[in-house]
Amino acid sequence: MGLLTILKKMKQKEREMRLLMLGLDNAGKTTILKKFNGEDVSTISPTLGFNIKTLEHRGFKLNIWDVGGQKSLRSYWRNYFESTDGLVWVVDSADRLRLEDCRQELSALLLEERLAGATLLVFANKQDLPGALSKEAIREALALDEIKSHHWCIIGCSAVTGENLLAGVDWLLDDIAARIFTAD
Amino acid sequence: MDAAAEVRQENGFAGESGATKMQERLQKRHQARTEDAERRKEAKESQSVAEEKGEYFSSTFNRERLCIEELLSGCSGADRATVTQRLEEATAKTVRLQKFLNDSVLFLTQYELRQAQAALQKLQTSLAETREEALPKKKFAFRARTKAADKASAPVSDPAPPDVASATPTGAAEVDGAAASEQCGFSNMDNEFLTKTSEEIQKRDVLLTHLSNCKVRLLGSPSTLHLKHIDSCEILCGPVSSSVFVDHCRNSTLSFPCQQLRTHNTTDTQVYLHVTSRAIIEDCHGVSFAPLSWSYPTLEEDFSVSGLDRDRNNWSQVDDFNWLAAGTPSPNWTIIPESERKTNWDP
Repeated sequence: MGLLTILKKMKQKEREMRLLMLGLDNAGKTTILKKFNGEDVSTISPTLGFNIKTLEHRGFKLNIWDVGGQKSLRSYWRNYFESTDGLVWVVDSADRLRLEDCRQELSALLLEERLAGATLLVFANKQDLPGALSKEAIREALALDEIKSHHWCIIGCSAVTGENLLAGVDWLLDDIAARIFTAD
Repeated sequence: MDAAAEVRQENGFAGESGATKMQERLQKRHQARTEDAERRKEAKESQSVAEEKGEYFSSTFNRERLCIEELLSGCSGADRATVTQRLEEATAKTVRLQKFLNDSVLFLTQYELRQAQAALQKLQTSLAETREEALPKKKFAFRARTKAADKASAPVSDPAPPDVASATPTGAAEVDGAAASEQCGFSNMDNEFLTKTSEEIQKRDVLLTHLSNCKVRLLGSPSTLHLKHIDSCEILCGPVSSSVFVDHCRNSTLSFPCQQLRTHNTTDTQVYLHVTSRAIIEDCHGVSFAPLSWSYPTLEEDFSVSGLDRDRNNWSQVDDFNWLAAGTPSPNWTIIPESERKTNWDP
């Protein structure tokens, strides 16, 4: 048993996962992260750089990376791709004007080799807003059905009310766990 | 002392006379032990499930694998619909196979596991190759946009497939219909005085695009405010409960309370601001900021509708996403000196 195997076993025992949260600016990435962690969400400002949170959920240790979505920061996204187990793509469901932008950014991400093994969770956020598109409309606008390269799932949620955040993360954990913790 | 010696003697006698007896006993015990082992083995076999055996696993695994390979080999030369269907089936089967393998990990040996993993890997590769070959990836042909255009021209027809529509009462077309009522605003105007009342705005998304030389008064509390392609305008708006987006705006004066302000591609614009979180600029220059000074009769009411904190105003803390040097102020924005601030907002 080499050192690498021992390290692998240790990591397996810890059941650690790395989740990367991306999306256009104002999608609600930081709000989702903070809400999920039970923090105050009323004073969040646009993310200049990134936030990392490590939290325990269902016996898994989750390292969640929330990287700013402003245009000028998107070129830095790739610095965070390495060893990502799950990709959380957050969409502002009320922002019709930039859905096309959103689709393009996502499809570019999915071509990334270093994200090839990652599971994709799409959060159709801001469902609490009266002008929000349904998750079916988002699914169509982002052409999710054409994605064959990744396991994916879309879930409508609201970061402000916390609705469905847990359901989304649970799906993501199940999918990742089936992949990395059972087979070598 | 004597007693101990006696005991030893007695034992010695027993050893000599009972040698054959001892052997017999050993024999018996050995037999009992083998029988016991046999019985335990049988019991174990009857308990263990057929599914949890290497043989069962490998035969099932190989059968499934062959099945998928057959599906894939049948793809060359078939027409598109058949290929798509076959690929879907193969993909589903592969996923099931991976699951089967995952479930079987407990009782497989390392070797078997590695072999199966490798076979599965190979299968996935050839699946991807076949897909690439038979159905080359479309160069993302803006499918969604054409659909949107369809919807715009015929908003009554429902382009969503029936299964989607029945699964969700709010089909795509319906949502777009709602959108029209949720969103309000002005576009493509020049040299006008435009207003919206509280009743028109209440909690909607307001969109202003392609305006030049206009004066705009939005008296109410929108959910979000989008300003795009604005030239030489004066735009005043009531409390915005979430974000204000400003994009491609120049030579203008803006004023509003909001939770966040996101300014892009904007030049030579003054912003009289009340922001409870942060204002940011990106690809901007010549943007200047001052605290909100405009007011209108129902401002207080609209503030409470928006839920914004009246006492928290971070108007002077602007983050420039193109200026990450800490310590040196960004050259892209300034604070308007008090003497130069506008105080009279009469149209």
